[in-house]
Amino acid sequence: MPASFHFLDDVALADLAFDAEGDSVPEVFEAAANAVMEAMADPKTVGATWERYVEHAEVDLAELLFDWLSDFVYWKDAAGIVFSRAEISVTRAGVEWKLAGTLIGEPVNQATQVLRNDVKGVTKHLYRLHQDNGRWRVRVVLDV
Amino acid sequence: MKFNTAMKVVRISDEVWEIPVTEKSGMLVPARIYGTESILRAMDTGVFEQVTNVACLPGIRRYALCMPDGHWGYGFPIGGVAAFDVHSGIISPGGVGYDVNCGMRLIRTDLTLAEVQPKLELLMTELFRRVPAGVGASGFVSMDRSSFDRVMTKGARWCIEQGYGWHRDLERMEQGGCLPGADPDKVSDHAVTRGMNQLGTLGSGNHYLEVQVVSNDRIFDRDTAAAFGINGQDQIVVMVHCGSRGFGHQVASDYLKVFEKAMRRYGITVKDQQLACAPFLSEEGQDYFAAMNCAANAAFANRQVITHQIREAFAAVFGRSGEELGMELVYDVAHNIAKVERYPEGELVVHRKGATRAFGPGSQDLPACYRSVGQPVICGGSMETGSYLLVGTQRATEDTFGSTMHGSGRTMSRTQAKKSIRGEQLQQQMKQRGILVKAVSMSGLAEEAGFAYKNISEVVESVERAGITKKVAELRPIGNIKG
Repeated sequence: MPASFHFLDDVALADLAFDAEGDSVPEVFEAAANAVMEAMADPKTVGATWERYVEHAEVDLAELLFDWLSDFVYWKDAAGIVFSRAEISVTRAGVEWKLAGTLIGEPVNQATQVLRNDVKGVTKHLYRLHQDNGRWRVRVVLDV
Repeated sequence: MKFNTAMKVVRISDEVWEIPVTEKSGMLVPARIYGTESILRAMDTGVFEQVTNVACLPGIRRYALCMPDGHWGYGFPIGGVAAFDVHSGIISPGGVGYDVNCGMRLIRTDLTLAEVQPKLELLMTELFRRVPAGVGASGFVSMDRSSFDRVMTKGARWCIEQGYGWHRDLERMEQGGCLPGADPDKVSDHAVTRGMNQLGTLGSGNHYLEVQVVSNDRIFDRDTAAAFGINGQDQIVVMVHCGSRGFGHQVASDYLKVFEKAMRRYGITVKDQQLACAPFLSEEGQDYFAAMNCAANAAFANRQVITHQIREAFAAVFGRSGEELGMELVYDVAHNIAKVERYPEGELVVHRKGATRAFGPGSQDLPACYRSVGQPVICGGSMETGSYLLVGTQRATEDTFGSTMHGSGRTMSRTQAKKSIRGEQLQQQMKQRGILVKAVSMSGLAEEAGFAYKNISEVVESVERAGITKKVAELRPIGNIKG
């Protein structure tokens, strides 16, 4: 089954919740990143003139995903960027998980991009990354 | 089941309901929810669970409270109010909210609807151009780290020193637009980088700038309205709802992580991870309080720069200065904040999250111009249904730690609202009803449709009947800017 995400109707009235899933850790990380990018702007309307390489290391895989998703929110505010895609690799080294990723996008342009929510942050409400019948799943609530 | 909870809910009065301490293990005080029976029936399960979770936090005094516009939030419910003993109690970012000092500001004018209506399209275009909104928008104020440090410590006063406003604006803000005890050294570089270029921006979500009209038949307390500068002769006013933007959110996120670790050290357990907290007088508690005050001051500054831009936009359209147009600030009040206040129990750390301070007449914390009438309370409704100007009461000081409602409160999720209507369709419908909307995001606009919110009038009536605020005027929208 391909990696996927969908936004939820009945969770987090004032904010935005989604479920993401994939067959592997990198897949679920990629699906969740796609959901965060979609929440901010339609990626199909965003170019690829800006990119930023990021690295994280955590013992807890859920914390690693939290850090990764928070990167999108940070660069949206710090550099005024919305995103078209991201590249990611997640590897295990001893007790630690390591993430290397690239965020790709372009500066906000109200004339050419379909903009959506100014996501203020990733929250830990209902936040749970787990493996279920071999499929990785996570629920995320974004504060908007 | 009468309400969305299996817990026993006892009627104290028609507008006050109590969940006794016996209903959940660990409750230290009862929980009290304000609202009519029909409002409580519509409240989601989260409110009942969360307000009783708050009642379990160390050092809580009297009651854990929720206002009638309450709904599920992170940790505390939105609409939550709780006061903790300074010496034995805690401070919690979940009780302040991520958007530190999200708040409301109201500016009066001498203009009438008849004067503004012919130029409304031009006015809204000018406001939309001068007040950046939406995803990733940055403000016009160029800022370096040392300037931003001064914003963090001086709040709105910094803006006045730069020429963005009038000195007399300061006395019409909660705490003069500057909370003491702000320490930029307690704020992460990450937070500063997120916040530095956002001064003077609205953001998105439920934040907005709205041009409103006050009609003669929608003034409920003429003397108080007059004291607030509201004459009601189809008078134009401007309301702003926004906060500390990404900066405040980063401060909250940073300290949630700090508090998760600190709780183990202090032996504190909480019912929900988002209630992470630390003793108020601990090193971690004081660090958060200093950082939160920085974010609160940045929010006051944000709304002040926006006010400057609003005055400039009106001046450009009507050919008279803001002063000539009588564009005085009515008030600026926070609804996401923690402050130390004195009550009969002693000094308490009062958390208001989606709740507004509502001090009554005679309070020494109010400016001289409002001391005899009470504090203006600004409550934003949905962009379709209008808003209210209320006034604080002595009863609020006695019953709710000087607190009341802040808005109408959502009843439908953003995702559901978007499925119910398209932004363009809503914009057209509102235009036909005389409300001109400028929005950066059409999907964001659909999320804010009036049907996604409670009826604000019912919420306002319930706090009036409970005696914790009184109605002064209803404010009807004619123009709205959204992110």
